[in-house]
Amino acid sequence: MKIALINGSPKISGSASGSILQDLRSFLEDTADTIYDYHFKKPIVSAEEVAALSECDILIFAFPLYVDGIPSHLLRCLVQLEQSLAKANKEITVYVVANCGFYEGHQNRLAISMMENWCTKAGLKWGQGIGIGAGGMLSGNRSIPLGYGPKKNLGKALTRLAENVCQCASDENVFITANFPKIAYKLGAEINWWLTAKANGLKRRDLSLRK
Amino acid sequence: MRIIIHDLGNTDFQKLFPQPLDDTMVIASDAKIHHCLGCFGCWTKTPGACVIRDKYGDIGEGFSKCSEALVFSRCYYGGFSPFVKNVFDRSISYMHPDFRNRYGEMHHKRRYKNCVDLLVFFYGEDITEREQQVARDLVKANAINMCWDVAGVSFSHGIAELEGRVS
Repeated sequence: MKIALINGSPKISGSASGSILQDLRSFLEDTADTIYDYHFKKPIVSAEEVAALSECDILIFAFPLYVDGIPSHLLRCLVQLEQSLAKANKEITVYVVANCGFYEGHQNRLAISMMENWCTKAGLKWGQGIGIGAGGMLSGNRSIPLGYGPKKNLGKALTRLAENVCQCASDENVFITANFPKIAYKLGAEINWWLTAKANGLKRRDLSLRK
Repeated sequence: MRIIIHDLGNTDFQKLFPQPLDDTMVIASDAKIHHCLGCFGCWTKTPGACVIRDKYGDIGEGFSKCSEALVFSRCYYGGFSPFVKNVFDRSISYMHPDFRNRYGEMHHKRRYKNCVDLLVFFYGEDITEREQQVARDLVKANAINMCWDVAGVSFSHGIAELEGRVS
């Protein structure tokens, strides 16, 4: 079984999507013959990447939610891949893990639906979608083991996803959030904005500047 | 002010809007647009403006000055075209980074207080029922996120069907 892990975050490093794929990889290493890692951080897919993806049995996309949907650079990649993958002479199953900065995982539902629609257009088999809320916590919690503390729900969801991947099975989409109070997440995120602004030489009130 | 975001060629746009447009900002795919890098610099470095200074760096400010937004987009998978999506991705400086609850969900706080009617025209030869449903839900979700009102969502096979229907 050939599996492609596709990071759809435009961030060069430190993305929540990368962290999710890293966690997921550990579940798949025993089953997969080969695991390829791709990072679609630009709005174009190389010919070599298109050819390699056409040979895979499983494509697993992880990406951040942008304005209720798929980030535009990744969308351009998907449009490019649609025609090529439609010509692939094999069954390819697609799994998607979308994460958002909002607390509620179900806010990823439309992006996941769009990925399902893309699969239909490209003639691919839909596997499963996972929508993760409070994604802002993921990259900062790399040291916390999957399945523990705020990553308890994530551990369950990724375990189930990995089981489905290993059997090329389709399953219902799952929406989760961090095992962490919403009010504390909100407060932590807002303090983080202030601290980042301060590090950039701004005052707290500057966050509210109007043009 | 009215804002028009579209992915049409110049000829098609002229067919829809043959007369000069007053008090209208048009955002078209007539220059290279960089994709959003997810750096949040538009919130924490240069609040209210994107740090990428191409032609599309001040979309958030443009949104703040409009009362009506018209979007013409080819429908891809139940969403906007890559260009139109890119415009929205680059517009998040319109919102404040802090969070507020709306309809029981977490969304961003408003930076500006203007009211905007959002009217979206999707087009495409083979838009499925399912794509139409996702697209309607998407426009609704976008409106909730930006505190805008949905004035309408329509689907057509091509621009020819829209001629004479917009002004």
